[in-house]
Amino acid sequence: MIPQAKKFIIFFLFAGLLLAGCGGKDQAAAAGEAKVFTIAVIPKGMTHEFWKAIHAGAAQAAKELGVNIIWKGPQKEDDRAQQITVVEDVISRGVAGVVLAPLDDRALVRPVQEAMREKIPVVIIDSGLQGKDYLSFVATDNYQGGVLAAKRMGDLLQGQGRIFMIRYQEGSASTAERERGFLETVTKEFPGLKLLVKDQYAGSTTETAYQLAENLLGRFPDVEGIFCPNESSTFGTLRALQESQLAGKVKFVGFDSSPKLVQALRDGHLHGLILQNPVKMGYLGVSYMVQYLRGQKIPERVDTGVYLATKENMDTPEIRALLSPDLSILD
Amino acid sequence: MKRKTKLQAFINLLAPFLGLILVIAIFSSMPDVQSRFLRIANLKSVATQSVIVALGALGMTLVIIGGGIDLSAASNIALSSVITAYAINAGLPPLLGILLGVLTGGLIGFMNGVLITELRLVPFIITLGMMGIARGLAKWIANNQKIDAPLSWVNDLMAKSPRPSWLLLAPGVWLMIVFAVAMAVLLRYTVFGRHVFAIGSNEATARLCGVRTKRAKVIIYALSGLFCGLSGVMEFSRLTVGDPTVAVGLELDIIAAVVIGGGSLIGGEGSILGSMIGVFIMAFLRNGCTMMGWPNYIQEIIIGVIIVAAVSLDQIRHRRAA
Repeated sequence: MIPQAKKFIIFFLFAGLLLAGCGGKDQAAAAGEAKVFTIAVIPKGMTHEFWKAIHAGAAQAAKELGVNIIWKGPQKEDDRAQQITVVEDVISRGVAGVVLAPLDDRALVRPVQEAMREKIPVVIIDSGLQGKDYLSFVATDNYQGGVLAAKRMGDLLQGQGRIFMIRYQEGSASTAERERGFLETVTKEFPGLKLLVKDQYAGSTTETAYQLAENLLGRFPDVEGIFCPNESSTFGTLRALQESQLAGKVKFVGFDSSPKLVQALRDGHLHGLILQNPVKMGYLGVSYMVQYLRGQKIPERVDTGVYLATKENMDTPEIRALLSPDLSILD
Repeated sequence: MKRKTKLQAFINLLAPFLGLILVIAIFSSMPDVQSRFLRIANLKSVATQSVIVALGALGMTLVIIGGGIDLSAASNIALSSVITAYAINAGLPPLLGILLGVLTGGLIGFMNGVLITELRLVPFIITLGMMGIARGLAKWIANNQKIDAPLSWVNDLMAKSPRPSWLLLAPGVWLMIVFAVAMAVLLRYTVFGRHVFAIGSNEATARLCGVRTKRAKVIIYALSGLFCGLSGVMEFSRLTVGDPTVAVGLELDIIAAVVIGGGSLIGGEGSILGSMIGVFIMAFLRNGCTMMGWPNYIQEIIIGVIIVAAVSLDQIRHRRAA
């Protein structure tokens, strides 16, 4: 019995140390500051570059305005159920406000209502939420992003050609808007562009997008243009194009940015990237929340804009800041 | 003999129970969240968050004690939630929608059981296949979208503050408690329950002793499927939409809960109470880490450590017993 008991104790001490070790830093940070607002910023996921840029913007605002932020997404990327859990848990913790990028325009309605009931105000960023139970909506006009992509594609192919539109994921509102903007503009303004593929979903990871693109390229090797509506689908498709020696030959317009995509733009493998301004989104989300908490009025809807990056304009300061957001604040 | 098994059962539960106490104790002593962690409102939300995994774990405990595994559990949950949403969206009465959802789960489980016994393949392979089949069906039926079913009383089943307030907890939590007790009784006091243990310990011997192993295994998987179906209904209730991409990888959480609670993957061991404790250890950890604002990877590492520790403790105990 004795060695057994010893092992129990060793294990629990170990677990305890691990937990205590993780907690130490936060405690130290929290000590010394008395009444500072703590604001939870809840992204859809944590691994995409896009969310890191939002994080950087939010952290910048927090630093300037002297508030704390808790940065916490669902444990599994893009898991609606887990995002609900995160919202419930930060309500339980009792934060001053929540800045949320809802994974679903409907499933997150109830947790947000619950927050407002507990007198915790909510600002929605990035993707829409049904109903009106929040203070403000700070986001890209995604439809406009799709329109911009379609125009670029039309220019690149001079209005004639066979193209793919790869969709991102079932039920994702922001990318669905981009896809709709692209599709409607192509049908209206560029009847010469023939859509070989328009209802295939890339899925949530680079890997699934890669596989889909590989399969599609195998089936339609004569494709002339491709549009992808977000970072992971763009990168997955890029890898497939590079792998099958088609990169540069197929006109390729993507969405969002990451170091690899910037390089591809420079190499001529990508012919256009539609950019949002995630840093601004994170920044405005947190600053509007703070303004509200300090009793000021804030706007109900804010558009953070869409921009087209090409090989030609990628070195202008404005586009460069969007292509490679300054994340140094997160280190 | 009987006394010894009782003592052993007690010791088997002790480790996970201590683990749960430790997790709760650690978070309630954190200055940041101390005052909030043990508040009724938070305990209620942890209980509600546990329902989906817990219902899955009830069935999984049975399967694992019987020496099997059910990898299709999470896909089955997604499929059942989609079916429920589809039925309600098509204008069927909500109760019928629930029934269809639960029965869909049961049907998938039943098919698992029949395929495993008739094709004589290991459960790992059959349920791995079923994992893909059920997920694919869910996406097909939902037409690659989420289904926005109209709101109904079904969506109140998982509401943290239940409509008749004397219920105190969400109806889903009560369902979880009732079924946990029912399953514990089934496992401990019925002939079928003893047969499950016998099959898991040594299937050949059980068959020679006259246990109708094939029939028992089909029932085990069908029951597990029914619980997944119910869990799917709860998932729909919580999300208010039928989402075919929900719960990816959740089968591993369910299996982890059973294993942390003392279930043995070689079969013949496990308990409902243990599995429920396993579910709550993970739920409290997730809740506590979020409240502390710790990054997700910390959570994942801690849960990984706990799984390895729980199983190795189990091994040590076995070696001593042998």
